[in-house]
Amino acid sequence: MTWFSDLRERAGALLYSRRRDREMAEEMEFHIEREAEERARRGADPREARRAARAALGSVEAVKEAVRDATGVRPLQDLAGDFRYALRSLRRDPIYTAAAIAVLSVGLGAGTTVFTVADAVLFSELPYPEPDRLLRVGQLYQQNDTVWQLSTVDAQAILEQQRSFEVFGLVSRSEAALSGAGTPVTISVGRVTSGFLQALGVEAAVGRGIAAADESLEAPPVAVVSHTLAEQRLGGGAAAVGRSLTLDGVSHVVVGVLPPGTDRLGGIRASAWPALQLRPPQRRGPFWLRGIGRLREGVSFESATADMAAISERIFPLWASSFQDRTARLAPVLLRDSIVGGAARSVGLFAAAVMLVLLVTVVNVTTLSLARASAREPELALRVTLGAGRVRLARLPLLEGLALVGAAGVLGLSIAAFAIRSLVRLAPSLPRVDEVGLDGRIVGFAMAAALVSGVLISVSPILASLRRSKAPSRQGDGRRTGADRRTTALRSALVVAEFALALPLLLGASLLFRSFLELSRVDSGFDPAGVVAVSVSLPQARYPDDPDRQRFWRELELRSQGTAGLSAVGIATELPPEGNGSINNFNLIDRPVAPGVAEHLVPWSVATPGYFEAIGVRLLEGRMFSEADSGDVPPVVLVSRTWAQRYYPGESAVGRQMIEGGCTTCPPTTVVGVVGDVKYAGLTESADAVYSPIAQSQSRSASLVARTRDVPAATLRRLRDVVAGLDPELPVEEDTLVARLDRALEGPGRSTAVAASFAVAAVILAALAIFGLMSYTVRQRQREIGVRIALGARPSAIARMIVGRGMRYATIGTAVGLGLASLEVRFLESFLFGVSATDALTTAAVSFGLLLVAALASWLPALGASRIHPVEAIAAE
Amino acid sequence: MVSEPADLLQGSLELLVLKALSLEPMHGWGIGQRIDQMSRGVLHVAQGSLYPALQRMLRKGWIRSEWRITENNRRARYYILTSAGRHERESQIAAWRRASGAINGILAFESSK
Repeated sequence: MTWFSDLRERAGALLYSRRRDREMAEEMEFHIEREAEERARRGADPREARRAARAALGSVEAVKEAVRDATGVRPLQDLAGDFRYALRSLRRDPIYTAAAIAVLSVGLGAGTTVFTVADAVLFSELPYPEPDRLLRVGQLYQQNDTVWQLSTVDAQAILEQQRSFEVFGLVSRSEAALSGAGTPVTISVGRVTSGFLQALGVEAAVGRGIAAADESLEAPPVAVVSHTLAEQRLGGGAAAVGRSLTLDGVSHVVVGVLPPGTDRLGGIRASAWPALQLRPPQRRGPFWLRGIGRLREGVSFESATADMAAISERIFPLWASSFQDRTARLAPVLLRDSIVGGAARSVGLFAAAVMLVLLVTVVNVTTLSLARASAREPELALRVTLGAGRVRLARLPLLEGLALVGAAGVLGLSIAAFAIRSLVRLAPSLPRVDEVGLDGRIVGFAMAAALVSGVLISVSPILASLRRSKAPSRQGDGRRTGADRRTTALRSALVVAEFALALPLLLGASLLFRSFLELSRVDSGFDPAGVVAVSVSLPQARYPDDPDRQRFWRELELRSQGTAGLSAVGIATELPPEGNGSINNFNLIDRPVAPGVAEHLVPWSVATPGYFEAIGVRLLEGRMFSEADSGDVPPVVLVSRTWAQRYYPGESAVGRQMIEGGCTTCPPTTVVGVVGDVKYAGLTESADAVYSPIAQSQSRSASLVARTRDVPAATLRRLRDVVAGLDPELPVEEDTLVARLDRALEGPGRSTAVAASFAVAAVILAALAIFGLMSYTVRQRQREIGVRIALGARPSAIARMIVGRGMRYATIGTAVGLGLASLEVRFLESFLFGVSATDALTTAAVSFGLLLVAALASWLPALGASRIHPVEAIAAE
Repeated sequence: MVSEPADLLQGSLELLVLKALSLEPMHGWGIGQRIDQMSRGVLHVAQGSLYPALQRMLRKGWIRSEWRITENNRRARYYILTSAGRHERESQIAAWRRASGAINGILAFESSK
């Protein structure tokens, strides 16, 4: 019970301190009255009795203090008192407080956002049991260190021969037309083997997963669907099982529904997961499967690597005729790395920039609080004189700092919550971005960052106040003292640091901006204005054979030609500037690659003559495709000018022959013409391209591309009607080439904008810091300047002196910043296009710009200094 | 010797307060008076030290306080012995007796010498 009364008393003293005080005063008053009465009763004079009664009790305040001490909450009460004092003094200085909170909350908000994204994208574990045992297996090409998918041959060999995995599964991602009730739509599907779900450890929430029996070619098609798809199209979770799902015209029985929130598996986003049925392979390629395995207990990554390499060795000789790159190896990578991989770089860049900004904000608020500390010197001196202890004195700046970051932390978290939501919307391509969200750890991070910032911004004022408490009788009239000089030195160092941090940010942003300008000036090879595209995918079930599909495409082009408002129309499988990524390997018959070396790769499209006309690409040499280029004659291709110049520099490429796709048994392919350059692999890539005629293709998906004189929307509607007239069950996707170009610039544009906003923030903060420092210097040296002016110094000379001082800091900072920037060069290089990370012009312009900002920021206080009136300045002391 | 009030031994103030409150709840001034009376003026409680001691005892749970109206119709804070306080009183009295007995023994031994 003792602890209870103790707690009650302490809590009461803390919570009701004002009432306690009142009651204590009343108790003392009662005591004195009774004592006085008693003394009067014994015959003392009433007035004298009261005086004596007071004397007997001693100082009422002292007794009250002693009672307060006895409550045992004294240190806490002092702390609360000091905290109230800190809040009051912050309120008295609203500009400082608002500036510090604003600066800090932006810094903390940005830091928290980046931490959240980095945390979800880079550091979080995969949401599968024992994720460290999950590996992805691919074809590793030693030549360019790229990982390719697996072919049917590879997959079957691994399934039969591997000794490393407990379970090994395969997945192939594609688009499929979902038809049935309502308008047909295109959805993402991941065709999977039973091992895929087992390896990940994912089970269906309702029904069952894919079973081994479902993989047989004779088995009826089945699929597992995502919870979302079940809700949207199949009448909800439990009702979906047993219903039929028509994918690309094939009816699949839904056997299971995944748990809610499982929209991605193993890094692949799909809403339906049909059973994968592998046909016996005819050749080593194509490479279209992802292998995912769960390591056996106790098997190391290294032995799995050796296991896969051994399988490569065994299958290579069996299929050497269709695949000659002996350096290619089956190799595992950690599934986590393969999912996160590329995003790590851009998130890293982002994180580095944000950390710089956060650092600059802290430095900036530190300079603000230092300036404030020196302005408060008289007040501190008074407190020291009144007997404030060093600890309590030093505690004040810390409490102020914590109050500031407390407010800034809350604001920063709200900023982060907002920023994260926008980010998820803006950058859906980031892996696992849908797992990003505020949670306890994020709030913890924000609080920790706020706490650290709070301590950091309090350190220098604390040191300053401790120095002062050693010499308590110092008068606070702003005369220069040793402590002031030390404070000024510290502030100068901080200003230098801010410029040093701002420069790499500004340089990085400028380089990204120049790179973006270069990118938007890239000749994409075509005239996008007025070009529209309608994309269609033909389901395997209803268009099983190549002739069916070729007939459909020919008919589609023919019917479209009659559409009103078109000046040209054609069909192509790849659209610029970023196509579907369809590439093919080839080997030139007159210039073959050395044995055992990988063949050349090139973006490979299928196109009709109308397509080139529609996008405005001209035939430069040789001939166009014609009706004669049918499936019955040896294959022909058109090549781009870049391709022709790369492989036949200074010669004609027309008439050259190649082996296509490693198929040594197929007839060779002949180049019949050279067309203008069009980029399919992205604006930053080269314009290599090879085109096949549609009559010699097997394409299931293609786009109708048309140049229109009409508004694009009207034309798109008419083309859609043409498709529906041929096959009403086909889902259709509309696009314009202008939009495609814009999208290609969107990503770089966004990162440029983000980097620019960071850089602008850092520059503004640096300018504020130097402005503050120079204003402070002018105030400190007011008397000296007055004397100089009185002695005949010209105002312009005074102004020059102040600006010169500011420029000294800025120049040192910029120089240090250039040193820091040289560290980011290699990192930045990979993000740049058409401009070098060490570009002299940009570096010079950025340094000059930063110095110009510094000059302007110190010029204002300098102007004030030159206007100092000598008499007033000297008299003010 | 009687005219000079003796200083209280450290810690004995609490025992005296516990004893003073045994009969009835009292306010602070009354407790001081009661100790004065009971010791026939020998032991004098410094008024300033009484209130912090009461606060400590409140925390220990030996006493509790409440505001009451005095016989003269004034509001005063009364201190009331709790059952924990009664236990404490008995054990402190016992400890005191043991200690004072021992001290008396020592003193008797010395004077007989």
